[in-house]
Amino acid sequence: MSLLKVEHLHKSFKGLHVLKDVSLAIGAGERHVIIGPNGAGKTTLFNCITGTLPIDAGTVTVNGQKISGLPAYTAVRVGMSRTFQKNNLFGSLTVEENVQLAVNACKPHRFHFLKPLARYTETVEETESLLKQWDLWERRSRVVNELSYGEQRLLEVLLALASKPKILLLDEPTSGMSPAETVQTTKLIQRMPRSITLLVIEHDMEVVFSIADRITVLHHGEVFASDTPGNISGDERIKEIYFGGGTLQHAEA
Amino acid sequence: MTTSTLAMHILNGLAYGMLLFMIAAGLSIIFGLMNIVNLAHGTFYLVGVYVAYTFVQQGTGFWPALLLAIVIVAALGMVMEKVLMERVYGKELEQVLLTFGLSFIFADVVKWIWGSSPLTLPVPSALDFSLNVGLTEFPAYRIFVIGIGCLLAAGLWYMENKTRIGAIIRAGVDDREMLAALGINIKIVFTAIFAVGAALAGLSGVLGGPIMGMYVGIDSEILVSSLVIVVVGGLGTWKGAFIGAILIGLTDTLGRVWFPSLTMAMIFVIMIMVLLIRPNGLFGRGAQA
Amino acid sequence: MKASAYGKHIGCIALFLLCPFILTSYGVKLASEVLIMAIFVMSLGLIIGFAGLVSLGHAAFFGLGAYAVALLGNHWENTYLLLISALVISGLAAFLSGLLFIRSSGAYFLMITLAFGQMIYAIVYKLEDLTGGADGMAVVASPNLGAGPIDSRLGFFYLTAVAFLISYYFLRLLIASPFGKSVRGIKENESRMTALGYQTRTYKLAVYTISGMLAGVAGALYAYFNQYVSPDLLYWMFSGQALIMVIVGGVGTLVGPAIGAGFFVVLQNYISSFTDRWPLIMGLIFVLIVLFGKGGIMQIAALLWQRFRPQRNSKPAQQAMAKEGNGIESVKS
Repeated sequence: MSLLKVEHLHKSFKGLHVLKDVSLAIGAGERHVIIGPNGAGKTTLFNCITGTLPIDAGTVTVNGQKISGLPAYTAVRVGMSRTFQKNNLFGSLTVEENVQLAVNACKPHRFHFLKPLARYTETVEETESLLKQWDLWERRSRVVNELSYGEQRLLEVLLALASKPKILLLDEPTSGMSPAETVQTTKLIQRMPRSITLLVIEHDMEVVFSIADRITVLHHGEVFASDTPGNISGDERIKEIYFGGGTLQHAEA
Repeated sequence: MTTSTLAMHILNGLAYGMLLFMIAAGLSIIFGLMNIVNLAHGTFYLVGVYVAYTFVQQGTGFWPALLLAIVIVAALGMVMEKVLMERVYGKELEQVLLTFGLSFIFADVVKWIWGSSPLTLPVPSALDFSLNVGLTEFPAYRIFVIGIGCLLAAGLWYMENKTRIGAIIRAGVDDREMLAALGINIKIVFTAIFAVGAALAGLSGVLGGPIMGMYVGIDSEILVSSLVIVVVGGLGTWKGAFIGAILIGLTDTLGRVWFPSLTMAMIFVIMIMVLLIRPNGLFGRGAQA
Repeated sequence: MKASAYGKHIGCIALFLLCPFILTSYGVKLASEVLIMAIFVMSLGLIIGFAGLVSLGHAAFFGLGAYAVALLGNHWENTYLLLISALVISGLAAFLSGLLFIRSSGAYFLMITLAFGQMIYAIVYKLEDLTGGADGMAVVASPNLGAGPIDSRLGFFYLTAVAFLISYYFLRLLIASPFGKSVRGIKENESRMTALGYQTRTYKLAVYTISGMLAGVAGALYAYFNQYVSPDLLYWMFSGQALIMVIVGGVGTLVGPAIGAGFFVVLQNYISSFTDRWPLIMGLIFVLIVLFGKGGIMQIAALLWQRFRPQRNSKPAQQAMAKEGNGIESVKS
């Protein structure tokens, strides 16, 4: 049974039909990558799945629970979290404060107001272990704006992981990264436990093919194809729309 | 209440609405286009009416005083924009504080020069008679004010929809960054908008003088009503300002007749209802700032 | 907190409570006024500096608290009951208005709160039978916490001092708590907070309500202090004054707004003693601060301290200050 199910999703902006009848089914533990030329509606799809944007028609269900139509904050409650294409962090707070906020989002004490956050050991310990696990422990007292771009990109993923999601939506995790950082991030994604289902938007084809179990090609807001990496890379039509020819493996959008 | 008194109150409400429209139009465009909540906008009204009062006292007569006051207020707006506002564009809070401070400075200076007892501007003699408008006798001057308001609305509507400057304004309200991309000299547009807004508020002040009188504090009353109109009508639209002003003008005037102590609350209820049903205002197009 | 930190706090509180012994009788009275204003301005500083909600209608909550004591004080004597009524009434007003306003932000929020404040002002002004209209009304109730009426200036100073300390430490806890940190996060980046699973509107509404309650308590104390209330307490000029006190003191700090309040109350008292042109001078201060003020008093004090203190490892302290109090700039972030 699929963990995340998107059925007949439609979305338009001011008469522009951005998503047309998009359906996806993603099984538990799957690594599903969405590719498509710029403007294909990939990020809009993410926004619609997580409830950041209201959808015009269709349904989104997580684990059999319908979440479309619910406010955006409920996505995390059903175990779905996301990252953003452009770093979307708390720039003038420290790395530690950023992670604490993320960790604390689903704690029952998130509304408490008479005891310092620093004294909630559960939050503090989880924050520490996440920071250590992701090699940001040394940087914990730095203000986020002072971090390198790559580190900020890493923190972006870390924040999304803090709620212990069952499904993680990564919006171009390697965009803007140096080749070395890209390799490192790819490894991190590959190492993520299979208990986390991944839905990833990615442009870098090397990254795509090194993580994907299945690939969905989005073109003009429609699902053009959804198949295994092997079949996708062999599909001439996709090469055509995506690159106007050329080889898929080595091209970069 | 007889039909004739009701008709009279409605006409009074319309006249007041037209005065509010002249202020709210400028406020709305300045907010919509420049993202400035100009809290000194009531000041233009205040300065306009007091300056006209002094000219009338000096024997210039009403109409020359009207023109002179408008010119002076427009110049004041222009100087304010060039000398002060220009330094804080893009900084929301600074702009508010600056205009807020200015409104206090001018209110206090006006009080200093003209004293704090209420004054009135005499109705110009050419219009100092009553007209029979069918249901009731009504002062010709107020009919004149309603006429000016409608003319102005028509003029602004024409400008907004049929001229290049109107197109620029519409584009700018929808997307401020686009103005720069269009290669338009924003500085000139902004100064001009500010000056025109000030002139309209000054016009409203002078025209309002014979109807509402003048006193310290009228600036903030007028400002608050205009802010409500902007919220009700929607940002950056003259049509919204016009309809909103009539709505608020009528509510205010009729409210004063029927529920004198709750008038302001009624106006506010209208604003709340609009916020609930149409958060961007009745005719708003841009997203909320 | 370490033991030495506790020591520092206790030392400061002791010094603070000893103030009346070095002040004249008038000074003690002024100090009470400063403390009341400090509570009010801290409440505004909370929503501006930590939640990014810039309100120009906050005097409405202060005024409602003051009128609650004035009006209910005609029927009830119990000080606790009156203070709690003020807190509840102001809190309710903040909650209900917040329900409607909280989804707007920036200049729009400011404009709507201004209109709301002026509406409350107009209602109080027009309800002459009840409130005395423009003339205001005398406050009959006098404070009594159970140990006899507090009628001396010194006694009242200690009442306000205790209220101030409770408010200050309450807010201190609040901003360090999970709730306070989340509010700060929302100011910083609301969309990410939503993505992380926070119901951001609930937080904003809650902090706005708490702020309104605190403003109401300050207003209630003011009614006791002044023994007279007038619609001026709800006027937008008063909201604006509080706003400038927050900014002068330093946005995003807790002590800053309190210091800003002290600075202004003393200045206003001094200037009003020889001229009626206070609004003019206040307006000029606004303009000058906007044009030339970079950061608030706290920032300036930190720089001076940095410059003249004995040379020790002072860099981190300055960085901390610079991070904390960026004056106007840090409202938006």
